Amino acid sequence: MTVMELTSADPERIRDQLAGKLSQSPAFFQHTPVVLSVEKLDEPHLALERICAVCRAHKLLPVAVRGGPEPVKQSAWALGLGWFPPQEAARPRPLESVAPGEAESAADAAAEIEAPPGVSSGGRIYRGTVRSGQQVTSPEGDLVVVGSVNAGAEVLAAGSVHVYGALRGRALAGIHGDPLAGIFCRELHAELLSVAGNYKRLEDIDPCLLGTTVQVRLEGDQLGITPLA
Amino acid sequence: MAKIIVVTSGKGGVGKTTSAAAIATGLALRGNKTVVIDFDVGLRNLDLIMGCERRVVYDLVNVIQGEAGLSQALIRDKRVDNLHILPASQTRDKDALSQEGVEKVLETLGKDFDYILCDSPAGIERGAQLAMYFADEAIVVTNPEVSSVRDSDRILGLLASKTRRAERGEEPIKEHLLITRYNPGRVDSGDMLNLDDIREILAIDLIGLIPESEAVLRASNQGVPVTHDADSDAGQAYTDTVARLLGEDVPLRFHEYQKKSLLSRMFGGGRR
Repeated sequence: MTVMELTSADPERIRDQLAGKLSQSPAFFQHTPVVLSVEKLDEPHLALERICAVCRAHKLLPVAVRGGPEPVKQSAWALGLGWFPPQEAARPRPLESVAPGEAESAADAAAEIEAPPGVSSGGRIYRGTVRSGQQVTSPEGDLVVVGSVNAGAEVLAAGSVHVYGALRGRALAGIHGDPLAGIFCRELHAELLSVAGNYKRLEDIDPCLLGTTVQVRLEGDQLGITPLA
Repeated sequence: MAKIIVVTSGKGGVGKTTSAAAIATGLALRGNKTVVIDFDVGLRNLDLIMGCERRVVYDLVNVIQGEAGLSQALIRDKRVDNLHILPASQTRDKDALSQEGVEKVLETLGKDFDYILCDSPAGIERGAQLAMYFADEAIVVTNPEVSSVRDSDRILGLLASKTRRAERGEEPIKEHLLITRYNPGRVDSGDMLNLDDIREILAIDLIGLIPESEAVLRASNQGVPVTHDADSDAGQAYTDTVARLLGEDVPLRFHEYQKKSLLSRMFGGGRR
């Protein structure tokens, strides 16, 4: 479950910060259920109803509140939300008012990568083998690899990932949430495929497709892998 | 100026030191003035493989720290005239090496020698990075095994980014693949990775293929580089490797399983 850590009780500030996040990773805000954590706040009363309205306006569905004093707990219940006790020994993570936490999904990883300002443009062409431990990123557009991506390597792109060789490592397309991005490769052996945060591990890939030329697209909230003739 | 060749692999126990000793011996036997340096500070082994452990007085760390001169630390090989060994220190660790110190040693050796072989420690940390930093060529030692191939792949990535040639944007290091412990029988039965699969993944030139051989273990324990064992398959394979390193075109040997049955001939020939 995604946890949204509130560092401000002011609905207007929350609205501004959510709007900023939304432009970075639109895919993250698709009626995602979130837990509002108010542990970091020291406010006896919260305008919880207004905060929830702000969240819903940004396609986030608050389902519960974590932490806070007794009145907060009562108002959460009154709004039909669940309430969790605060987490002991809060982990020392960098404070951000909207922090995707807990869920170690690729969606979160994607959301944490800073989006460049401006429109997606300007791809990147990499010639040669992407070797284990190397990471090749195209933060603004497509990534074309003329060569293979070996196991333990990672290729990422804001747009689509094209590999004119064997894909044995990890490929992440649409890292800023572009659901129309795709992954294309000559020979599929990928450790991980991800489009806009929706991922498939090697284990989840139909063995029949391994070693073949394929394209990977987001179909609904599932990755579809289809052979390319 | 000498050619600096690093023998590296990432993974331990694949045969770096054995290969460094055998190739250095082969180069010297072919008349090249050669020195082989043990960069595995703290886990000194090269002197054992070269059979000169009783003659070690000073080592690489002593030279770098100015406690001994290079000529005092260099050990002349008993068997081949123009072969020298610069041993590592057993009592220190990799932090005793400095980049400037290594550079100075290599520069000084470069004036007198044709080939400088750097026997890298396993891993990708300081020792391994210093061993490869100044290299002109690299011999990446790989066993026919997935973990070894992956580690070699990682090392190839570092060779292309964390070396002087890469940092200065000069012509990249010439990378050679040396496959050791190759057992064609076990490759045929699927226990070991196939030569072509390794070459496809690593995508670099094959400089040699050393068959799994009893001669290698015997040579290590006797302290005689296996190149001297001219009757052994491994000895011959290293001699071939050296010839290729010197630019000769030598056909590949020892990569095919000899005792093939008729059935496997009929059904196993599809790959290649």
